[in-house]
Amino acid sequence: MTEPGKFVSTPRTLVEGTHMFSRLLVAPIQVSAHCDLPCGIYDPAQAKIEAESVKACMVKAVASSDADFKARALIVKEERSDLVKHHLWVLWTDYFKPAHFEKYPQLNTLFNEATKLAGAGGTKASWDVAVADNLLAKIDEIAVIFWETKKAA
Amino acid sequence: MEPTLHEGDRLLVLYGGRPRRGKLAVVVLPDSTSGSARPLAVKRLTHPDPDGSDGWWVERDNPREGLDSWAVGAIPADGILARVLVRLPAPRLLRFRLRITSREK
Repeated sequence: MTEPGKFVSTPRTLVEGTHMFSRLLVAPIQVSAHCDLPCGIYDPAQAKIEAESVKACMVKAVASSDADFKARALIVKEERSDLVKHHLWVLWTDYFKPAHFEKYPQLNTLFNEATKLAGAGGTKASWDVAVADNLLAKIDEIAVIFWETKKAA
Repeated sequence: MEPTLHEGDRLLVLYGGRPRRGKLAVVVLPDSTSGSARPLAVKRLTHPDPDGSDGWWVERDNPREGLDSWAVGAIPADGILARVLVRLPAPRLLRFRLRITSREK
């Protein structure tokens, strides 16, 4: 086991000589395996990033002639449509308080429409980029209200 | 990258190693749209860039967390820094100690 700060190498260095050896002799670095998204507990950016992924699935699948890639795009589109709904539900049920719904009477309808757009009648059923754009626009509307309530808090 | 990797895991990587489809790699994620830099990340190379560049399409193993090419697009070839060769086995106690060390930094 290598201690932090010590050098590491592999058997491959023995075969490939000193040039490869010098490339391998480096100090350990830290890399991230997940925390590359906004880590705030409540943030509409999470829903937005997943919705952008949904849009990318549509755009890339249509442009690709690779059957495997298209199949993968379909699976990812389903998964991330669900994630959009999940992140929106967290905001809807946990973040926003009764006073917010009084002040912004359109808020319930916005969430209802946005989650529908990410559902079986929305991005899950469609390859039409316009549906994803509508979803993104709804999330943006929610985000505007979110940040207004944050400022007011 | 759960369940493949866990916080505090140590990876042996080959800088400049040829990217291989299906393998993990240390990659540079593009800056966010607001311009802030993202950390170096471990992702899985799932597909050559579908647009035909010599870059790679990368994905997260954890379907629920993190960024990947579906959000940020293909990673250019010079953004693939290293190929992950193996996760180094670490006794539970040692892994715990390393995690504390990295928190203190």
